[in-house]
Amino acid sequence: MCEGSVATRALRLDAAPTRASTGIPGLDEVLDGGLIPQRSYLVRGGPGTGKTTLGLHFLAAGASRGESVLFISLTESEEVVRQNAAAMGLDLTGVAFLDLSPTADYFVEAESYDLFSPADVEREPVTQGIVARVRELTPRRVFVDSMSQLRYLARDAFQYRKQVVSFLRFLMQLEATVLFASEAGSEAPDEDLQFLSDGVMELRFTPRGRAASIVKFRGSGFVSGWHALRISPGGMRVFPRLVPGNLSEEMPTETIPSGVPELDELLHGGLQRGTITVLAGPTGTGKTTVGLLFMKEAAGRGERSVVYTFEEEPEVLMRRAEAINIPVKAMVERNTLEVVKVEPLRFSPDEFGHMVREEVENRGARIVMIDSVAGYRLSLRGTDLVAHLHALAKYTANRGVTVLLVSEVEAITGDFRATEVGISYMADNIIFFRYIELRGELRKAIGVLKMRLSDFERTLREIGITRYGVKVGRPLTHVRGILSGRTPWDGSEDED
Amino acid sequence: MPDRPVVLALDRNRRNLELLTEFLNREGIDVRATMSIEELDQAIEEADTVSVALLDLAGFDRSIWARCERLQEAGIPFLVISPRQSVQLYQDGLSRGARAVLVKPLGARELIALIRGLMADRA
Repeated sequence: MCEGSVATRALRLDAAPTRASTGIPGLDEVLDGGLIPQRSYLVRGGPGTGKTTLGLHFLAAGASRGESVLFISLTESEEVVRQNAAAMGLDLTGVAFLDLSPTADYFVEAESYDLFSPADVEREPVTQGIVARVRELTPRRVFVDSMSQLRYLARDAFQYRKQVVSFLRFLMQLEATVLFASEAGSEAPDEDLQFLSDGVMELRFTPRGRAASIVKFRGSGFVSGWHALRISPGGMRVFPRLVPGNLSEEMPTETIPSGVPELDELLHGGLQRGTITVLAGPTGTGKTTVGLLFMKEAAGRGERSVVYTFEEEPEVLMRRAEAINIPVKAMVERNTLEVVKVEPLRFSPDEFGHMVREEVENRGARIVMIDSVAGYRLSLRGTDLVAHLHALAKYTANRGVTVLLVSEVEAITGDFRATEVGISYMADNIIFFRYIELRGELRKAIGVLKMRLSDFERTLREIGITRYGVKVGRPLTHVRGILSGRTPWDGSEDED
Repeated sequence: MPDRPVVLALDRNRRNLELLTEFLNREGIDVRATMSIEELDQAIEEADTVSVALLDLAGFDRSIWARCERLQEAGIPFLVISPRQSVQLYQDGLSRGARAVLVKPLGARELIALIRGLMADRA
């Protein structure tokens, strides 16, 4: 082994470069730890997508570590930028400014000219201003807002490209990490800048709110796709998309019971940890209730569960549970249960995913129930929600959490359909509920359609929900045709 | 005489004149800047030292052509600067003796080459 050789040393440096934090929660995670120092990154996006805010976070993060940082503004005045930052609670003390934005005099004094092109007139003062300030400060971080402005100072595309490259080289020679913004639009395409930079972040508005995506990141992995981004009074934050499996842990197969012996018989012991179970059936058959049974048992073991309810108010859900002898109030008091109402249209799937993840990773939730899939689809903004739900469920299950998805089937009777369209494929287990007509009376039945990790009973059982709790009967072997909803009695004592 | 050559410039826009002056000074040329026809007339009176004239047409009426003829009579080569591409202006300018009609914005290097060329012709 040639330990000391240049090649090995270089390799080792490449393998684990230290990262420069962007100062934005979530974004560092998307970037696999942060930006690689002494390189240049492009932030592109339309008006109001948060380019400057991102840059401010980047500088503030550096300043808070005592680094020398510089904001080069070509469009907004220092005063405006500082005001906007203050409104977001960002601390810009320690951030140096180079304000090259046009002053008001420019307009008032009719100081416009047309004899020469701007490229000839203004490039030099701008360049000299930048060079002087950068030499004076030798900043570790530089944010240029925006590089598009320099385009007008170049006579043609070739000149511009050359200037940008040499500008970036100049900054990086002085060991600065450079972030530069560009207004991407059909008017002024910025493909050239994308080629020149070591990384490209894109910001945009989508129907479900702001979003950020990494398009390119030389020398590093990153979480691809669009991640929800929120700018609030507390600043900017990114909610990384959940990619199922990327944090998976080896889980021992362990079964958690429902506490109702007949139901556990049906399930051959209960549900496995780290699996996704769909509870499917028409309205009022006891899907949520059965989910709560598992939580009640878990609470007995001291484990924490969370219910995300999209339709029902938590109070109603809790009152209903109390009425059938599930002590949810006590569970909530002991912190073994939390019922979270998800307000409609407030969250994007990524933000909701982040909420669930917080619960699982930081508060140790072991059972998570989403009530219901239809509510999830209706309440969260955006498209492709089933795919998001799948990712979330898979991710959560991979952390050893038992995931319960409540899926309402519209048909009360008639031809059997296990779940809503497109849900069953993500389920490890499917427990279904049916209304059955038994001797002219409307009764309920529960059965298991699939259990990926264990065997299960092939029969159906009657289920009743009483004030003493959930009662599950013996296998219904004397009726047939339950799945169709028409169930003639074996003794055929029809009472017409 | 080893004096610095002088360019006579006419422009309504002060900033244009400033930039032009700055630029030509750097090239070792002095500028006699004028902003109105009257100032121009006066400058032509004292024209012995002027080697080249630059006339920016923007903001002036047809009376400018009479000044072009005067410059021609005085033997001062001049360039006409037009705010836009126009065949009419081109013809008008050249027929009054302009050495060239330039369209804004001017390329700095092209301009200095032209001026130097005209000064060399005169020498």
